Amino acid sequence: MTGIAHTIWLPIFALFYVMVMLHWVRVAANEGRGEDGFFSAGHSLSPWISALVMAGASLTGWFALGGTRLVSEIGFSLPAVLAAGIMLALPGVVFFKRFWIIAERLRVSSQADTFRVYYGSVFLVVVSTVVAVLFAIGFSSLQVRMLSQLAETMTGGAISQLAASVMFGFVLFAGAGIGGMRSIGYFGVVQTVLAFAATAALAVFALFYIGGFEALNGKLLAIAAAPESAHLFNISKVIDFTAGLGRGGEYAASHTGVANLSLAFALMGFQASPLAFKLVLSTRSPNGIAAGQTWVTAGFLGALVVFAIGLTGAAGLADKNLAIAALFERLQEQSPWFAAWIFMGIAAGVQLLAGLSLFVAAEGLVRHIYKPYFHSRLSKRGTVNLTRIAIAVLAALAMVMENIAPVTLSALGSLALPIAFQLWTPLLGVSWLGWITRQAATTGVGFGIAGVILTEPLGYQVLSFFGLELPWGRWPWTIHSALWGMAANLAVVLIISAITDRRIQRTEAREIRHLFSGLLAVRPKARALRSTAWSIAIGWFFLAVGPGLIFGNYAFVAQNGEETVWLLGMPSLWAWSLAAWISGLGLVWFLAYKMEMASPVTVEIPPYEPPLTLRKDQSALERERLRILVITGAIGFVLAALTAFSFGR
Amino acid sequence: MSKSAMVERDLLVFSIWAVLGFGGLALLLEGFSRDSYAVSVAGIAAIVAGFAAHFVVNAIFDTGFKQGEAALGIGVFGIVVAVFIASWATGGLSASDYWSGLTLFAVLALGLPIYLSTRYGLRGAFSHFHVRHADSGNSDR
Repeated sequence: MTGIAHTIWLPIFALFYVMVMLHWVRVAANEGRGEDGFFSAGHSLSPWISALVMAGASLTGWFALGGTRLVSEIGFSLPAVLAAGIMLALPGVVFFKRFWIIAERLRVSSQADTFRVYYGSVFLVVVSTVVAVLFAIGFSSLQVRMLSQLAETMTGGAISQLAASVMFGFVLFAGAGIGGMRSIGYFGVVQTVLAFAATAALAVFALFYIGGFEALNGKLLAIAAAPESAHLFNISKVIDFTAGLGRGGEYAASHTGVANLSLAFALMGFQASPLAFKLVLSTRSPNGIAAGQTWVTAGFLGALVVFAIGLTGAAGLADKNLAIAALFERLQEQSPWFAAWIFMGIAAGVQLLAGLSLFVAAEGLVRHIYKPYFHSRLSKRGTVNLTRIAIAVLAALAMVMENIAPVTLSALGSLALPIAFQLWTPLLGVSWLGWITRQAATTGVGFGIAGVILTEPLGYQVLSFFGLELPWGRWPWTIHSALWGMAANLAVVLIISAITDRRIQRTEAREIRHLFSGLLAVRPKARALRSTAWSIAIGWFFLAVGPGLIFGNYAFVAQNGEETVWLLGMPSLWAWSLAAWISGLGLVWFLAYKMEMASPVTVEIPPYEPPLTLRKDQSALERERLRILVITGAIGFVLAALTAFSFGR
Repeated sequence: MSKSAMVERDLLVFSIWAVLGFGGLALLLEGFSRDSYAVSVAGIAAIVAGFAAHFVVNAIFDTGFKQGEAALGIGVFGIVVAVFIASWATGGLSASDYWSGLTLFAVLALGLPIYLSTRYGLRGAFSHFHVRHADSGNSDR
C-alpha cells in the first residue's frame, strides 16, 4: 500500500467527523433560536442523553491515552485507576439528584449559580469558575497535546503537532462556541458512543497483537517473576513516610495503599466539578440519574476501564512495542482504516471533555463573574456573544500553551481534579449537611486549595520562584494532594461550623433546607439503612481502593513449589480490581436506589418565588469594583515582580 | 413525531452508524486487505447489525427511513457496486475479495424485501412496488 493510501484514512474520517459535528451544531443553533438555551439547552436535554454524555465526559480521552500509559509504565501498583468507573460514579449518586431539585426550585443552571444563591459567596463562585478554567486550560489541553502528537506520528509528520492542535482548537470552538450547551449535549452522544467503541477496539487489537489473553498473562507472569520488576504487580506498603517526590521519595515505591486511596479521591473530583453539574442542570428530569450513574457510568464505563484499559495497558507492559503510541503506529502501518477510526473515537472523547470545559469556563468568567459583579446591564445577547469570544480566547490560549508551555500545562492539569475534589464540602453543605455554614464552606475550600497547591509541583515551583523552598516534594507520605487538601478542608469546616452561628442563613438556603426536611425528606425505610450504607461504603473503600489493597497482592496467587501460579490466570491485583468493580457496582446501586440518593423523583418541585425588591442602579459600584480590581492586580504584579527579583532564583 | 423525539431518534441513528457502519467498513477493508473472507463477513455482519439497530430505532419512534437516509443508502450502495464491478473488470479482485463483495450485495439485496415485509407485511410490501392504474388517478375512465 502506498504512503498516500496509508495516510488518507485519517483525513477522510476526520472530515466525516467534522461534517457530523457541524450538522449537530446547526441543529442545536436552529433549535435554540438566537440566545435561548445557549447556556443550559433550555433545561431540555433528555435524561438518557445526559446519562450517556456524563459517562463519556467522565471517561475522557485520558483513560485511553494516559490510563493505558500508566498501566504500561507502573503495572498494577495503582489499581485504584482500574476501579475508576465506581469512583467517577459515586459523587453523582451523592449530589446530582439534590442539586437538580435545588436548581429546579431556585431556577439556577450551574454550580456557581447555586453557590451564589445558597451561600451568597463570591469566593465559591470564583473557585467554581477557576476549576472549570483548570479543566479547560490544563486537564483537557494535556489530552489535546497528546492527541496532536499522535496525529503527527500517524501521518508521518505530514500534519505537524502544531497544525493538529490548531485544527483541534477550531473544531472545539465550532462545537462549543456556536451551538452552546445544546450542541455539546447532542453531539456528546455520538462522541461518547464513538469513544467507548474506540477504547474497546483498541483493547481488541492489543490483545490480538500480543497473541491472546493467555499469552499476555504468560508474559506478565515472566515479568512478575523477575525481582527487578516484581514491584509492578504489588502494593509496596500501606504508607511510606517520605518527604515526597523530588525530596527523596522514590516514584517506584510511592504507590502505597494510601496513595491509591488518595488518588481515588482525586478521581471523585470530576463529578464534583462545575462541568458535570452543567450537564445535570441542563437536563429536563432527574429520573435518569440513578440509572445513568449505576448502569452507564459505574457499570458500562467501569467495565470498559477495568477490562479494556487494563488490557491495553497490560499489553504495553508485557511488550513495550505495544505501549499506546507504538500500538497506534503499528495499527497505522497494518490497518490504517482502523487506526483512523479508533483515533477519531479517542479524539471524540477528548473533544467532549475539552468542549464542555471550555464552555463552562467561559460561561463562568462571563456569566457568573463579569456580568453580575462588573456589568449587570449586559444584555442576554451580549452575554452570549461575550461567552463565545471567551471560548475562542480560552481555546487559543490552550492551543498556545499546548505548544510552548507543556510543563506549565502539566502543572495546571494536575491541579484540576484535586481542587475540584475540594468542592465536596460546600456541595455537601448545600445538599446534605445543612450545618455547614457559609464561613466554614468558604474557608474550608480556601484551605483545601492551599493544601493541594502546596503538595503539587505548581505550588513549590511558584514558591521557589519567590525564593521559598518547601521541605517536602510532591505528595509527601505518598498521599495525593487531593487528600492533603481535603484533610485541611475538613478540619477547617468542622472547626468553623462549630464556632459560627448555623441559624444565620439566606432565605434561599432556608427554603432548600425546608424542602429537604419536608417534601423531599428521606423515607424511614431508607433512613433505617443508613448505618448499613456507611458500613458497606467504608468497607468497600478500605478493601477496593484503600490500604486493604495489600490483601490483593496475594489474594489470587498460589505457590506451587518454586513456581508462582495466578489462580485466575491474571495478575492478582488486576483480579482484585475486577472484584472491586463488581462489588462497587453493587455499592453504587445500593446508594442510588435503596438509599434513594439518586432514585427517581415523583413529586412536583414548585419554583421558589423570591420577595420582590427594587433593583438599584449598580453601574457606579461596578465601575468602582473594576477600578479596584485593576489597581489590586497591578499592585500584586509589582509586588510579585519585586519579591521574585529580590529573593527568587 | 415531536421535534425533540426526532432529534433523539437522529442521535441514535448517527451513533449506530458511527460505530457499526464505520466499524463494519473498517472490518470489510481489513478483510479485503488480508484476503480473509471471515474478517469480511464480520464486517458485513456489523453492517447488517447497523441496519437491524436502525430498524429497531425506527420502530421505537414509529417512523421509517427519512428521504435523505434512503438517498444516502442507495447512493453508497451504487458507489460500492460500481467500485466492485470496476475492480472485477480490471482483475484486481482475489477470490476472497470476490466472494466477500458478492456476500455483501446478496445480504443487502435480501435485506430490502425482508425489511419491507417486516414493516408493511408481505402484501403491503408488494403493494409498494405494484402500482395499480385505478389507484393512480390517471386510469382510463
